[in-house]
Amino acid sequence: MNAWGAQDKPAAPAAPPEENKPATFVGSQACQMCHEDIFNAFQKNPHEIVDKDKKRGFENNACESCHGPGSKHAESTSAADIRQPAKLKPAETDKICLRCHLNQPTHVGRLNSSHAKNQVSCAACHSIHKNGPNGLVPHKAADVNQLCAQCHTDIWASFQKPYKHRVPEGAMSCVDCHNPHGSFLPRSIQTVNANEPGCFKCHGDKRGPFPFEHAPVRLEGCGACHQPHGSSNPRMLTRPEVRFVCLECHSNLPGPKPPANGTLGTVPPALHDLRSPRFQNCNLCHQKVHGSYVNRDFFK
Amino acid sequence: MRILLALLLSIPALAQQPAAEQAAGQPGQAAQTPAKPDAKPADAQAPADTKSEAKAESPAPSAEQWLSGSIDFGYRFLTDIRGNFQEYRSVVNLGEGPKLFGVDFTITDPKKRLFDRLDVRALGIGGDPYQTAHVGAHKMGIYDFNFDYSNIALFDAVPSFANPLAPAGFNEQAFDTHRRNLSFSLDLRPGKHIIPYLVFERNSGYGHGIDTWVQDANNEFAVPTLLRDSTNNYRGGVRFEYNRFHVTLEQGGTTFKDDDQSYYNGVNYGDVPPNNKVLGQTVVLYGLGQAYGIHGDSIYSKVLVTANLNDAANFYGQFLFSEPRTDVNFSEMAVGNFASLSSLLLYSGQQNLGTGAANQPHTSASFGWESRLGSRLRFIDSYMIDRSHDAASPLLTQVLLLNATSASPKAFNPLNYTQVVNYNQNQFDVMFDVTSKLTLRGGYRYVWGDATVLAGQLSQTGSLAFGQLQRNVGLAGLTFRPSEKLSLNMDYEGSSSDRIYFRTSLNDYNKARVRAKYQPRASLYFQANFQVLNNQNPAADIRYDFQSRDNSVAVNWMPKAGKVITFMGEYDRSTLNSNISYLGLFLAPMTSSYYDRAHTATSAIDIACPRLPGFKLTVGGSLFIASGTRPSRYYQPLARLLLPLHKNVYWNTEWKYYGFGEQFYLFEGFRTHVFQTGLRVSR
Repeated sequence: MNAWGAQDKPAAPAAPPEENKPATFVGSQACQMCHEDIFNAFQKNPHEIVDKDKKRGFENNACESCHGPGSKHAESTSAADIRQPAKLKPAETDKICLRCHLNQPTHVGRLNSSHAKNQVSCAACHSIHKNGPNGLVPHKAADVNQLCAQCHTDIWASFQKPYKHRVPEGAMSCVDCHNPHGSFLPRSIQTVNANEPGCFKCHGDKRGPFPFEHAPVRLEGCGACHQPHGSSNPRMLTRPEVRFVCLECHSNLPGPKPPANGTLGTVPPALHDLRSPRFQNCNLCHQKVHGSYVNRDFFK
Repeated sequence: MRILLALLLSIPALAQQPAAEQAAGQPGQAAQTPAKPDAKPADAQAPADTKSEAKAESPAPSAEQWLSGSIDFGYRFLTDIRGNFQEYRSVVNLGEGPKLFGVDFTITDPKKRLFDRLDVRALGIGGDPYQTAHVGAHKMGIYDFNFDYSNIALFDAVPSFANPLAPAGFNEQAFDTHRRNLSFSLDLRPGKHIIPYLVFERNSGYGHGIDTWVQDANNEFAVPTLLRDSTNNYRGGVRFEYNRFHVTLEQGGTTFKDDDQSYYNGVNYGDVPPNNKVLGQTVVLYGLGQAYGIHGDSIYSKVLVTANLNDAANFYGQFLFSEPRTDVNFSEMAVGNFASLSSLLLYSGQQNLGTGAANQPHTSASFGWESRLGSRLRFIDSYMIDRSHDAASPLLTQVLLLNATSASPKAFNPLNYTQVVNYNQNQFDVMFDVTSKLTLRGGYRYVWGDATVLAGQLSQTGSLAFGQLQRNVGLAGLTFRPSEKLSLNMDYEGSSSDRIYFRTSLNDYNKARVRAKYQPRASLYFQANFQVLNNQNPAADIRYDFQSRDNSVAVNWMPKAGKVITFMGEYDRSTLNSNISYLGLFLAPMTSSYYDRAHTATSAIDIACPRLPGFKLTVGGSLFIASGTRPSRYYQPLARLLLPLHKNVYWNTEWKYYGFGEQFYLFEGFRTHVFQTGLRVSR
């Protein structure tokens, strides 16, 4: 009570100590003061456009759009006072990137991708600050391949085999066949012509439709007979002799009721004397094995 | 391609003049004017009235080089290729002569007139078996343009792949072709949210080869073949990109043609020796003319959607539809002495005409959602549906010419053929962050479908065969990052299939993968991978037993940011065992066994000299040694030297050795040294 009998106004809550105040935005220019190299490189990086993004409130705050408000860090210069997306949990890193990038066509297949499921964050492949030829993401085939090979060492080893796609030579890159952001096809295979496997982008003559299709091409894909990353067998086949590739399926005795485990494919006629080299390479005669326009036995 | 190359090389020359003028007009301005602390980069998207001001304030562009990049050119020498030259061409195929090994440059237009930035890259120009080029032009807020070109030579004449007893020793399954890809894409950016785009792509193949012409299973005759096909792809669409959702609508179409031809004139006894007579006659081909006239077209549509419904839920979906169609025209005329064992007939020629069409509506859809429950739990549920229904109506007629004046009646072979493939998949994943360093995953995938395909000729179920697919897959995994230096990822999936299509399909399988990375310091990291797949099909007439393993380790050491030395090394050990029973001669059950044990190593040591900027010596290469069913060795050591001669001019030289050998096919080995030397000019 005060001297007039009135109750004292409740005391205003004490101002929080300075260190407990939430950090505020300080602007990219403040970041430039100490991180000039990064700032300068960033000016030619595609993300530079973030500095003009009014809608999300990032105007003049490009750095803090990912790193969070930086006033505390600016005062203390301590790394502990700023968010470092590359050091967060991958899911949290992705969340930062996907605030802007989720709604883009690249990410339609993201939830199917093994990268997303295996916690490979965006920052694992994308260098957010860099510019130049390998800025943000490499574009030259050889650089893309080097990036992928850092983790997929076993796949890179396959490319050292004699029969392979021209990836080590830099004529092709991993992303010519795979979409690292995900695809609705297994192994993040790229698609062409809406929903065809990416293999047909270069091998258009194998696409068909053929009046006489070879069923495995559609049912199992090219990988049923070929090892696209590399093989010690000619034409990247899965087996060293053609007959064994074929006979692994074409060995069922046809019966009235097909078995559950492996129903398609029938036995070769007895005229094939498999002891003779003439019959050991089946596609000497069955040469249109990817599908034929005129012959059900794939002779022509 | 030469015209294209000349065009590419002229771009810097065309761009040079305005930049030089600009430099003359503002000599050293940027260098003399210190950048204001609050200076901003030029804003291409700024309104017109503020644009000049922004440019005036921006010191950055004029301070930079408008052209940067490098060009590598020189000459390649090969020592005599010892061993099998055809095999060398099938595996390596590098040739001698003057080459443009690579071009890579970027033009940044300070005035941002036609483009902000132009990137040009090319590789292997001058007859190399793989030639690629890329041009990318970008103007912020206006357009993105990309052009890609590749021309890859495909040569294949592997003796062991064909009939080793073929007469004249040539390979009946050889080809020497090129596959060429062209792609133009243009994205327009009239606004931030609506992005129309147009794309044209062309894929074509041309070359020649050797095929066989098959005559009634008695004999096959090697004949030269001319190979020509092309696919043109036109598509366009519009993307709507907003903060909460995105929609892409695309419509496209393709045209396709395949005009392969075979022609032969001479005396060809085929693969059967002349003294092996059929019905008392020597079977011989005197002439053949064969032509395909295949034309196809397709339309396709694509709808893509992503949306974040709220902060805790995302949705995506896509609907894809294509309907390729092929029209067939085929004619063939062969003359010779032929025999038909099935009808005990001798004849002197045959004419085959084929016509028909095939239509394949193909519908795919996938959709799913991701939701977060609190900060630790995430769910992903996704569905996929794929329907492909072929309908074909080929009509084939055959006339056998019995002698010069009479012919057999025409044999019509009309068919109505269908292939139906239905595929469905549902997958549910749960991810739980136990701690900030450990994430556990679990899930379940159910795959089911059915297929109707053309049956084999001995089928007892009619002309069509039916298959079903039903597979239950359990999923598990974890990601563990105890520190910034160490990360570990494990993945496992195991399945029990009720029904599968093929004997070799994934049936009862277990697949596991472990990937670990340890980076004790910024300049050093180790990577290790382990992968195993075990697939079993115990059915009595199949007995499929497949197991593959792959272990690899890699180390990368780059002390002092690679200023002196960089080392990269990888070693991979892979094993594969596959056993499956099959029916051999007279339907006797036999076992096909394939096994492969391979060692693969690659390494590269880069040595630089801080006192000689630009100097770089690289030593390394790869080796592959496999034992097993097809033992083979393939060595590719290399040494490369980059020596600065003058400012921005380097002597670039490389030695590489290719050595290939196979234990069971000694005649397929080859070895050669490849030297290339030239200059690299960079800016």
